[in-house]
Amino acid sequence: MKQILRITIGLTISCLIAGSIMGLVFTITAKAKKHNEHLNVQETMLALLGYTKANPAPSDLRFHSVYRYIIEDGEAKYIGYMVPVKKGATEGYELVVINLAGKFVEKLEVPISPEAAIEEGERETALKTVLRHPKTFTYADTTIIARLGDKQLAYLLPGEFPGFKTFISVMLALDPNFKILGLEIMEHEEDPGLGAEIEQEYFKNQFKGKSFEKVKRLKVIKEPLPDKYKRYLETKKWKKGMFSEQEIESIRSKYQDHDIYALTGATISSRSVTNGVKNIIKKFAYRMGKLNKVIASQHIAVTF
Amino acid sequence: MAPTTKTNKELFVNGILNENPIFRLALSMCPAVGISTSVMNGLLLGIAVLFVQVFSSCTIALIKDYIHPRIRIPTYTLTIATWVTVIDLVLAAYVPVAYKAMGIFVKLIVAFAIITMRLEMFACKNTVTASFWDGLGMGLGFMFAMMTLGFVRELLGMGTLLGYDILGFRPLLFFALPAAGFFLVGLMMAMFNYIEVVYNRRKKGL
Repeated sequence: MKQILRITIGLTISCLIAGSIMGLVFTITAKAKKHNEHLNVQETMLALLGYTKANPAPSDLRFHSVYRYIIEDGEAKYIGYMVPVKKGATEGYELVVINLAGKFVEKLEVPISPEAAIEEGERETALKTVLRHPKTFTYADTTIIARLGDKQLAYLLPGEFPGFKTFISVMLALDPNFKILGLEIMEHEEDPGLGAEIEQEYFKNQFKGKSFEKVKRLKVIKEPLPDKYKRYLETKKWKKGMFSEQEIESIRSKYQDHDIYALTGATISSRSVTNGVKNIIKKFAYRMGKLNKVIASQHIAVTF
Repeated sequence: MAPTTKTNKELFVNGILNENPIFRLALSMCPAVGISTSVMNGLLLGIAVLFVQVFSSCTIALIKDYIHPRIRIPTYTLTIATWVTVIDLVLAAYVPVAYKAMGIFVKLIVAFAIITMRLEMFACKNTVTASFWDGLGMGLGFMFAMMTLGFVRELLGMGTLLGYDILGFRPLLFFALPAAGFFLVGLMMAMFNYIEVVYNRRKKGL
């Protein structure tokens, strides 16, 4: 009995010490970590649109965020889109509430500035003032719309889906016709050397240029990746004069409608990424269609 | 087992050659087979293991008198998990570039046999200094083994080294697959054993 007690107390104390050390380090590093993640997201968004340090983004490039919320009012469920709107010279936010069939329900003004809207907590406080009890709401996702001058450039979709081990979080760039402009793997814990290869250019660049029609029936095939295609996909390793323009065009058109080549030894990871991307785009296209219809019919002065 | 009588230098070399974690002790074979597909992977995992091993060894050597013998294994796991979490968080916060490359390797370490084994076999019986040198040797030995495997597998499997094209073609794609890791680890073990046999024979002959 005494032994058991000593073991229990010993284990509890060890766990408490370890826990408090981890907690302490977490609180100290949390702010810097968040800041880094934010920077990383910014950089990724620009990189997906093709802007790098050598080719900086033009000054009239703007990002507008649309936040999606699930609203529950007793039994009834609605979807709320927090969209940025023009209010005279400044920008504000409006909550557009749509029912599940895509019909417009109501339009509410959200008292929040664009700077504050980036923080999830700030959005929640602002939303609580317009969505009163018994209505409850939960955050679903964010869509970022990139605009260059008066032209809509791309949709940027952060997304998450289960991989081989844990969740894989990605960022997708789509053009206004939902063609894939680029895919970036933000965070994952796949096995190095196997599933972790999803972050290699020769895998993720295979998604580039796939049309919406193709994405709907995108599959993974277990065939070795052709050497020439691999070299074409690894754009970071391109040397000057490695491909003539004709060659690029011929490879591009040859593989444009091709399925995704699975990674050697990581078919499950390849499949999860392909299906994850497919689902994100399919759902997004459906939602965006509904939202755009409502915006047009209600004459909402959105900024994007 | 009594505390070690070896000098620090002997302890250090011991981990790299005589008791190399992968080729001699046959520990942590999962990463040896799965991850050693390239030199870079080997190097990054090696660095991650090196740090966690040294920190955990020193911690356990420091607190060994307070650990109840019945709960020593959970304590080791807790120590390793704490260090892994701390290193992961610190890298993510202050060295984002390193975190991007090392993140997945650091998170993988918690369940590595080699680290727990060294704590059980060595750190809980020896002083902090000896444990430090033992941890350093073991970490470097692991890194050396992973890089050797990675070197052969990357060169023969992909025809590249550290991502640079060396051969211009892929001699044997088989080496990039996990199965080749088994064969290669086996061959390297045989080689190390053979060296030991020859070494002992020469010593007797003299």
